[in-house]
Amino acid sequence: MTAATAPARPAPPRARRLPPAAGPARLLGIELRRSPMLWLLPVLAVLFYVSTYRPAMGNPPFWNIRGGMIQSHTMLVFAPLLAGAGAWVGSRDGRRGLADLVGMTAVPRWAGQVATWAAATIWAELLYLAGVGVLYAVTARQGAWGGPLWWPAAVGAATVAASCAVGFAAGARLPGRFTAGLAALVVFLALAGGAFAIQDNATYAQIWPLNVQGPFPPDSYGIFYPYLPDLAIAQVMFLAGLAAAALGVLGLPAGAGSRWLRAAAAAVTVAGLAAAGTAIGLAGTARVEPHGIVIPALHDAASDRPVPYTPVCSRGAVPVCLQPAYRAYLPDVTAALGPLLRQLAGLPGAPARVTQVVVTTVTSARENGIGFGGPVISGHPPVLYLPLSGLTLPGEGNTPAASFTANLRGQYGTAIVNDLVGLPSGSPAGTGVTGVNFELGPRHAAQFAIANALDQVLRLTGPWSVRPGARPPSRSLPAGTGANGAAASGSGTLAGSGAGAGSGAGAGSGAGAGGGAAPSAAQQQAAVDRFAALSAAARHAWLLTHLAALRAGRIALSEIP
Amino acid sequence: MTAAGIGRPAPELVPDGGTRPPGPGRALTGLRLVRLYLASRRVLACLLVLAACAVALRTALHWLPRTGTFSRQIPLIIEAGAAAAIGVTTRSPFGEPERATGVRLPVLRLGVSLALAGAALGALAAAASAHLAGGTVGLLRDLGGLTGVTLLAAAALGGALAWVGPIGYLAVTLPAVAGHWTSPWAWPARPPHDRGAAICAALVFAAGLAAVTLRGARDAPARE
Repeated sequence: MTAATAPARPAPPRARRLPPAAGPARLLGIELRRSPMLWLLPVLAVLFYVSTYRPAMGNPPFWNIRGGMIQSHTMLVFAPLLAGAGAWVGSRDGRRGLADLVGMTAVPRWAGQVATWAAATIWAELLYLAGVGVLYAVTARQGAWGGPLWWPAAVGAATVAASCAVGFAAGARLPGRFTAGLAALVVFLALAGGAFAIQDNATYAQIWPLNVQGPFPPDSYGIFYPYLPDLAIAQVMFLAGLAAAALGVLGLPAGAGSRWLRAAAAAVTVAGLAAAGTAIGLAGTARVEPHGIVIPALHDAASDRPVPYTPVCSRGAVPVCLQPAYRAYLPDVTAALGPLLRQLAGLPGAPARVTQVVVTTVTSARENGIGFGGPVISGHPPVLYLPLSGLTLPGEGNTPAASFTANLRGQYGTAIVNDLVGLPSGSPAGTGVTGVNFELGPRHAAQFAIANALDQVLRLTGPWSVRPGARPPSRSLPAGTGANGAAASGSGTLAGSGAGAGSGAGAGSGAGAGGGAAPSAAQQQAAVDRFAALSAAARHAWLLTHLAALRAGRIALSEIP
Repeated sequence: MTAAGIGRPAPELVPDGGTRPPGPGRALTGLRLVRLYLASRRVLACLLVLAACAVALRTALHWLPRTGTFSRQIPLIIEAGAAAAIGVTTRSPFGEPERATGVRLPVLRLGVSLALAGAALGALAAAASAHLAGGTVGLLRDLGGLTGVTLLAAAALGGALAWVGPIGYLAVTLPAVAGHWTSPWAWPARPPHDRGAAICAALVFAAGLAAVTLRGARDAPARE
C-alpha cells in the first residue's frame, strides 16, 4: 500500500455559517441595537404604569373597561411621545450632517430610513404589547368573564406605528433640535383637537384614535353582544394609511433611491392617503346602535347575535338574574332591590323575575353624550329588565358597594314603583340626559301618595320629607337624572312650585276620582303617612286589591287607608 | 527651544504681561461669551418657537369655548410646548470640554433659563392671558411648573430629550383637568388660586432651575 492508494481522510465538516442578511435586514439589526428608542423605553414603561395600569386596577376586572383603557389612556400618553421620539430618530442624519454620506451607501436611502423607523417602532410596539399582555394577564387572573378584546389593542398598535412614522417623517424632512418637541406638541394638539371635534358632534371625528366606541361608557359593550369592530377597523385603516403616506413621502426625493423605488414610494404614498381618506369617509357614516358604533359598510351581521351565557341568579320570591360577568355584584343588586321586590311580589304587573340586560333604550345626546333608559317591566309573567350599563359599579373609581346599592335603589327602585302605580317612569337613567318634565294632573295624587309612601317605607331615596306648605303635584314634575316622581319628592318638594300647582288645578284632565281641584299638601302628606303606617302585609293586601284602579287613576286620596 | 515655557500661555494672548484685560475689554469679553453661549444653545430659534406658541395659543382661544374642559386642556398643551422649547436650549453641543473650562457656565445657565421662562410667560400672557380660563396667575403657575419639569428632564435625560418631561407629565395629568383631582402635584387640574398647587409648581420650578444651573443638562448619550 502506498500513500497514493491510501483512502482519503474525510474532511471535517465545515462549521455552517448563516448567510449574511441582506442589506436592509442587516441594517435593521444594527438599528435595533442602536435605536434611541431604547433610552425612552423605561420612561414609557413608567408612564404606562401611571396612566393605564394603575387606573385599570382601580376599576372592576371587565375586559371592556381594561380594553378601552389600553386604547384611550395609553395612546394619550404614547402617541405624542412616540411622535417626538420618531422625529428625534428621523432627524439623526440631518442633525449630524450625514445625509450625503449615508445617501451614497449600497442600501438605498429610503430603505435605510424605513429600517431606522422600523427599529424604533419595533421597540415601541414590544413595550406596548408587553404592557397589554401584563394588563390582560392580570385581568384574566382576577377572573374576568369572557375573553380579552383585541381590537382596542390593534388600534393602539396601529397608533404606535403611525405616531412613529409621522414623527419620523417630520424629523427626516425638517431636522433640527426643536423638531422632536414640536412633533410631540403637534400630535398632542391633534389628539386634543380630535376630542374637541368629536364633542362638537362632528361625525368624521369618530375616526379619532382614542375613540373606543363613541359615546358608550366602557362597561356597556362587548359583554352581552360581541365587541363591534366597525370603528376599530376604520381606525386601523386610517392609521395604517397615515403611516404609509408618511413613510412614502420620504421615498419621493431624487436621492431616495432608484426610479423604481421612488415610483414604489409614490404608490405607497397614494395608497396610504387613499386608505386614510376612505377610513375618514367610513367614519362619517357611523351611527350609534344599542350595542356600539356601527359603520354599515364594515358591519358584520354576525356581530348582532348575542353572546350565549348562563345567568347567575339569586334565590328568593323574585329571583334576580345577572350576566355572569356581573356575578360579583349579585349580592349588591339583591340587597338594593330585594326589599322592594318582596313588598311588590305577587301584585298584578309586579315583576316575577329580574333579568339583567345590556340596555333597554339608547338615545344620543348633545356633545357626544348618550342616554340609557331605565328598567322596564314587560311580558307575561312580568319580567323586570334591568340595565346596569352607565351605573358606577362597586370598585370603579373607589366607589364603595354601599354607594352603588344606594344609587341603584334610588334610581331604579323608584322607577319600578312609579311604573307599577301608573306614574310615568320613562325618565332616562344613566349618562348624558338630565331628565324630562311630565304633565301630571290631580288624578295622579293617589299614585304619588302610594309611591311616596313606598319610597318612605323602603327608604328608596334616603331621607324623605315633604316641604311644609308645599302644594301637591298638579302640573309638572321636575325629574332628576334617572329619577322619577318619588325621587324628586325625596329632595323635599312634591311639586315644582305653587304657581305651577295653581295653574294645574284647572289644567287637570278631570278624569276619574282625582279630577277637579288639587288636594292640599296636608292632605297629600296625611295619605302618605296613613299608608306608610300600615303593616307590610296590609299594604300588600291593599295593593293587591286596588292596584288596577290606582293605575287607572280611579283612586282618590281619601280612599287610601 | 526647550519645554520650559510650555505651561505658560502664548505672550500675544496675555496683554500687559499676564494681567487680565482692563474694564471695557472684560465687558466685551463677557458680552462675547454671552453671545456665543446664546448661539450655541439656539436661543434665537427658541424665541421664535415661543412666539409661534403664543400665536397658536391666541388662535386656539379664538376657536375654543371660554369655559369647559377644552378651554383649559388645549392652552396647557401649548404651554407644555413652550416649556419643552426652553428645555431643548439646555443641550450643550460641546459637552465635557465646555464643563471643564467654562467657569461661568452656572451663571449663564441660570440667566438663560430664567430669561427664557420670562420670555415665554410674557409672550403667552401678551397673546392670551385675558382669555385664559385661569388668567395670568394660572398661566404663571402652570408654565412655571412645566418649565421646572422640563429642566428636571433635561438634567435626567439630556437637553435633547427634555421635551419628554412636560409632554409626559401633561399626558398623565391632562385627564385630571376633567376629573378634578385634588393632589396639588397635579397643579394643572387645580384652580388658579390653589395655594398647594402653586407651592408644588414653584418647588418643581426651583428644583429644575437648581438642577440645570448646578449640574447642567445631561450629556447626550452616545447612541443618540
